[in-house]
Amino acid sequence: MASALMKARRSPALPSVAVMALRRAFAAASMGCDIVSAAPGVALQKARSWDEGVSSKFSTTPLKDIFQGKQVVVFGLPGAFTGVCSAQHVPSYKNNIDKFKAKGIDSVICVAVNDPYVLNGWAENLQAKEAIDFYGDFDASFHRSLELDLDLSAALLGHRSQRWSAYVVDGKIKVLNVEKVPSEFKVSGGEVILGQI
Amino acid sequence: MAPIAVGDALPDGTLGWFDENDQLQQVSIHGIGAGKKIVLVGVPGAFTPTCSSQHVPGFIKSAEELKSKGIDEILVISVNDPYVMKAWAKTYAENKYVKFLADGSGSYTHALGLELDLTEKGLGLRSRRYAIFADDLKVKVANIEEGGAFTISGADEILKAL
Repeated sequence: MASALMKARRSPALPSVAVMALRRAFAAASMGCDIVSAAPGVALQKARSWDEGVSSKFSTTPLKDIFQGKQVVVFGLPGAFTGVCSAQHVPSYKNNIDKFKAKGIDSVICVAVNDPYVLNGWAENLQAKEAIDFYGDFDASFHRSLELDLDLSAALLGHRSQRWSAYVVDGKIKVLNVEKVPSEFKVSGGEVILGQI
Repeated sequence: MAPIAVGDALPDGTLGWFDENDQLQQVSIHGIGAGKKIVLVGVPGAFTPTCSSQHVPGFIKSAEELKSKGIDEILVISVNDPYVMKAWAKTYAENKYVKFLADGSGSYTHALGLELDLTEKGLGLRSRRYAIFADDLKVKVANIEEGGAFTISGADEILKAL
């Protein structure tokens, strides 16, 4: 990837738009992209109760602990307690957890730009904590590094994430599905990615 | 912004709220408070323990008494989005009068000068814990905690001051 970018820069004939596209493809989440190196220094916060936060000294989980050496299905959504996220997106993974395990998936992870306490409240409300690991990207740094962030201020949500799903093996993205708009639920559900693994 | 104090005028601001019919509304503080007696209850975060099990319940329990003393509105304000506030409000099935308003961007909390940096705890910029009584948008009582502690910002202190 890097050598292709170097060649593009040196060639005067290549239009700048194409160079920009190459540069963006290198930084944004895409197939083959290594999640851990795309977001260096980024850590996520496991959904937890406040007491758990205190006893763990508000520890964060580095990405490599989540992804390295593992087969992970991860999905991101705009917000805890919102419509499609609660009624469709999470259930599509929760209800298929056995099928994911049967295919050798080590963990199914849900990430959202929420604090870990709100996420915990939501995960308990959906009774999904057994099946899915919920992680908070409270300052959107994870999603920003992967260019999967989105401004949803118009919907009074502020800076959030797109609706997406990915199959990641040892930190490398093998499959990536991103909805055109976060209110849609066409490509990022559990059933779809189950067929792509 | 200096923290709001007794004698100050309550600044205006727009907060998000899901009303009784589950419609997303934008509420203006001046709109809801002009000519009225209102109590603003600030909390660091929905679904966190002191907020959930001590601070807010006190106001829900004392709501009738506050109303009988002339309070028109009791507004819980947190730097959370309106969906989270709605879900949190639902956990208080017995609640009749307290409205849970979302200061999602933190701009109203900033206008009050009452922000609290809880980034280390994974919460980001939030609100200090407080209870403010305003009569026709003039602050009469401002009980503001230092951090997330819960000592003077409860319903009892507001009742005593009325």
